[in-house]
Amino acid sequence: MAGLSKGSIAALIAAVVGALCLLLESSMPWLIKFPAAWVLPATDWVGAFMEWFLALIKPAARSFSALMFYPMEAANYVLSHTPWPLVICATTALAWTLGGVRMALMAVVGLGFVLASGYWPESMNTLALVAVSVPLALIIGGGIGILANEYPRVRQPVQAVLDIMQTVPTFAYLTPLLVLFGFGPVVGLIASAIYAAPPMARNVLLGLERVEPEIKEAAIMAGGTRLQQLFQCEIPSAGQQIMVGVNQCLMAALSMVIIAAVIGGFDDIGWEVLLTMRKAQFGQSLLAGLVIVIFAILIDRMSGTLTQDRRDQHDPRVAWGILALGVVVSAAFWGSVQQPGAYGLFNPVADSVDRGLSSFTSANAEALTALKNNVLFYVLLPMRIGLDQAVLPFTWGFAWTPMMSAALFAAGAAAGIVFALRGRMALGVMLLIAAGMLETGISQLPWPFVLVGAGALAWVAGGRGLAVLTVVLLGTILLSGLWERALLSLYLSGAAVFACALMGGAIGLASAVSPGVWRVVRPICDMLQTIPLFVFLIPVLMVFQIGEFSAFLAIIAYAIVPMIRYTRHGLVSTPDEMIEAATASGATTWQMLKDIRAPYAAPSILLGLNQTILYAFAMLVIAALIGTTGLGQSIYLALGQADVGLGISAGAAMAILALIADRMVQGFAEERRKALGL
Amino acid sequence: MTGSETPAITCRNVWQVFGSNADSALKEALSRHETPEAAAQELRGKGLIPAVQDASFDVKEGELFVIMGLSGSGKSTLIRCISHLLHATGGEIRIDGENIVEASPKRLIELRRKKLGMVFQHFGLFPHMTVAENVAYPLRVQGVKKKQRLAKAQEVIELVGLGGREKNFPRELSGGQRQRVGIARSLVADCSVWFLDEPFSALDPLIRRQLQDEFLEIQAKLKTTIVFITHDINEALKLADRIAIMRDGKVVQIGTPADIVLRPVDDYVREFSKDVAKGQHAHVSSVMQPGEHHVYGADDPGLRQDMTLDAALARCMELYEPVPVRTDDGKLVGVVNPADLAAALQVEQG
Repeated sequence: MAGLSKGSIAALIAAVVGALCLLLESSMPWLIKFPAAWVLPATDWVGAFMEWFLALIKPAARSFSALMFYPMEAANYVLSHTPWPLVICATTALAWTLGGVRMALMAVVGLGFVLASGYWPESMNTLALVAVSVPLALIIGGGIGILANEYPRVRQPVQAVLDIMQTVPTFAYLTPLLVLFGFGPVVGLIASAIYAAPPMARNVLLGLERVEPEIKEAAIMAGGTRLQQLFQCEIPSAGQQIMVGVNQCLMAALSMVIIAAVIGGFDDIGWEVLLTMRKAQFGQSLLAGLVIVIFAILIDRMSGTLTQDRRDQHDPRVAWGILALGVVVSAAFWGSVQQPGAYGLFNPVADSVDRGLSSFTSANAEALTALKNNVLFYVLLPMRIGLDQAVLPFTWGFAWTPMMSAALFAAGAAAGIVFALRGRMALGVMLLIAAGMLETGISQLPWPFVLVGAGALAWVAGGRGLAVLTVVLLGTILLSGLWERALLSLYLSGAAVFACALMGGAIGLASAVSPGVWRVVRPICDMLQTIPLFVFLIPVLMVFQIGEFSAFLAIIAYAIVPMIRYTRHGLVSTPDEMIEAATASGATTWQMLKDIRAPYAAPSILLGLNQTILYAFAMLVIAALIGTTGLGQSIYLALGQADVGLGISAGAAMAILALIADRMVQGFAEERRKALGL
Repeated sequence: MTGSETPAITCRNVWQVFGSNADSALKEALSRHETPEAAAQELRGKGLIPAVQDASFDVKEGELFVIMGLSGSGKSTLIRCISHLLHATGGEIRIDGENIVEASPKRLIELRRKKLGMVFQHFGLFPHMTVAENVAYPLRVQGVKKKQRLAKAQEVIELVGLGGREKNFPRELSGGQRQRVGIARSLVADCSVWFLDEPFSALDPLIRRQLQDEFLEIQAKLKTTIVFITHDINEALKLADRIAIMRDGKVVQIGTPADIVLRPVDDYVREFSKDVAKGQHAHVSSVMQPGEHHVYGADDPGLRQDMTLDAALARCMELYEPVPVRTDDGKLVGVVNPADLAAALQVEQG
């Protein structure tokens, strides 16, 4: 095979294995469907082990849970018994100190809306959870970050664990915690602390690593002890990065607290969303969702000012004044501020939204159904079960015949040969493979082909180590009996990622070319990135009801943002000198984009794709609430039945898929970066 | 030079090797080979990087010792060995007779608080502290009371000409001002050994010259022992009492500025001094010979031994006989042949 590139070899191997599987399909059916007899009862083993293990540490966990009960109750008591004018004024005063008039105004309007919505008590319950879990997460995360910085030997393992924690889906945390700590808000608290600690740890470590070596040396030469160096010089120098960690930690904690409402037991705002969603009161649901969004935006923007380089100073007297105003108003109207939940100013609005929505959906039922069905029948279903089964007279108007399969393969092969002759062997063979996958459907791919194909791809992306890792991890899923569900998850997230890559790439391109487009797109991206996962479900559910299509849309809405951002960023960050050189050579705008900007942006775009994949997996599990099949659904079911084995196995399988995708794309991005000498 | 017996800094066979198991690999290589070159060769063969090879020199008390080399020559690594920011892989480094390679961490902190000061190429200022806090920081770690340390910092800030800037943050200062802060910070604890790692390289040429002059003034006042790193031959010649030239981790020549310019040991050093206006750096004493007492009358050009070659040549353009050289107080110390003066300036043209 001398003279063939790594990519061509990998593609050829995958194509040969795929073809063999297709040919031998009839004589050896076990090639397609992994025989149930070969499956190890890994889920049960994991369950048994975890149950034993959890029982072991349960007493400790329960006492910890009892311990956490006090600060939580205290926070809850304080927040729900403080008169609302005081809470609003205190927040506004803080907002003023952090960000001046604009921020203060945002706080007043935002909290005013919350009050008027009548969700004030529920919001305070949520905030109480956040208020306890965030300090916990900050201490744990900061401690881990500092330790990893101090002991280079543990840095690698710590980073690996943080990577894994980020890929394990949120729901998967909940099941073992539920068994450990029992039902109740403490589970949400701990889950959110666990979920929010890694970003803090990461940023602390990153910040400390990035402190200029000369600053560290200056601290040493000044004669500081190690502790003095760390706390007086290095940590303050890394302040900005650490504040990024605090910001991410806050957002993650809020997001998780709201997700944790799924297990119930606490009358918080997430629960309110879930409840109204279940009762199909979408107006109310949207209102509660908006309250969550407001909190997310307020927390994000306020803590975001801490990460800025130069902050304006704002007169502290104004802040004290606002606070005093709060005290005065609370005292003056003591009697009438005790029932903050009684305001339901938006209830009529919510009702009319409901009515409007039902009239809208019934008026446009045809168009909506058509949209949904078109996507389902002509895109999602063929990807899932393949053209050979998805093409039916009932939907497509004709039946799929083996002749058509042959024609499809022939077309794929012909295109492949054309490319191969032009010297693009790898691309040609991949076209053929794509034709095969389209015919078979992702959820029915023969398992040997998936293993070999993924292994080959991993080999190209990251060498032999990654290939072995990929095959072993995928093999684990295969043996554990979660294979079919994993393929279903792969199909839905794959379809969503594909859509995100196309649309996000196009929007990113448009934003890069035209500043006007970016001015519109940017605030939308900011908004979408601030909204907790959970809230994405509300609007899609309102219009398209429960089902795979809604889940598909929710995943796209959440996962498209990084693709847009990174694409634009990559395209606009081409160094000026390169642009000038291209202009001087006489390149047109289009040539510049194609020949200069796009290749330079490739690593950045690949990183965007990587983020999009991880986001899609994260959302996939949340979307199980509104009807997806696959691993997400298993995790959700496990939560309902407190089935630790299934919950952990499915969560691990999900994490494995995310991890492999992550490593592969990172590998490709790294290669591109190296090729560009970045 | 106070003429004390022990040099302020002594380096004996200092090695710094990067890579895994550098310690044992160096020991092994040294035991197997006679010359440092051969040992370095073996280390490189094993994939290790011998960044400093067998460096030996003394720095006298109050001397301004410049280590010069291009990037990657190991000069920054060497100064970090001496200041013990890096633990030397092999050899002996003595500061006032004390071997700091073997000093305990506690003793090192003490040394840094009392004896050593360092200035960095990119300033190494703490971004979260004001100028005054930055400068006072070495006192803060020693537990000096705030009022006292700020008063002391104020003195040094005045010394470097930054009065009035105390409350500014580093980001609000220009490059030259930032380096003044760096210099002030390194001086605040009254160090006796002063390390400067390319302190002026990141500055633009005008500011650089200004700071060099001020630096010489400060040095004249304080008379500390100085190890100064630079990649700029003109800076080295201007400032140094003696210069060590490094190449690929080895010290290739140590000598006075005149030695370097007039008697380069090899082509590498010669290449450095090629672009230098030698006449401005070498002094008459470097081409002077012990001479008889010639009687000179009215046309005695009046050469002094610390005159630059350029100045001397200008005075005896038309003379062909050896002329006397005197000290500042008129004592005859030797003679110089005007032809030698011209020849010394033209070594390279040949």
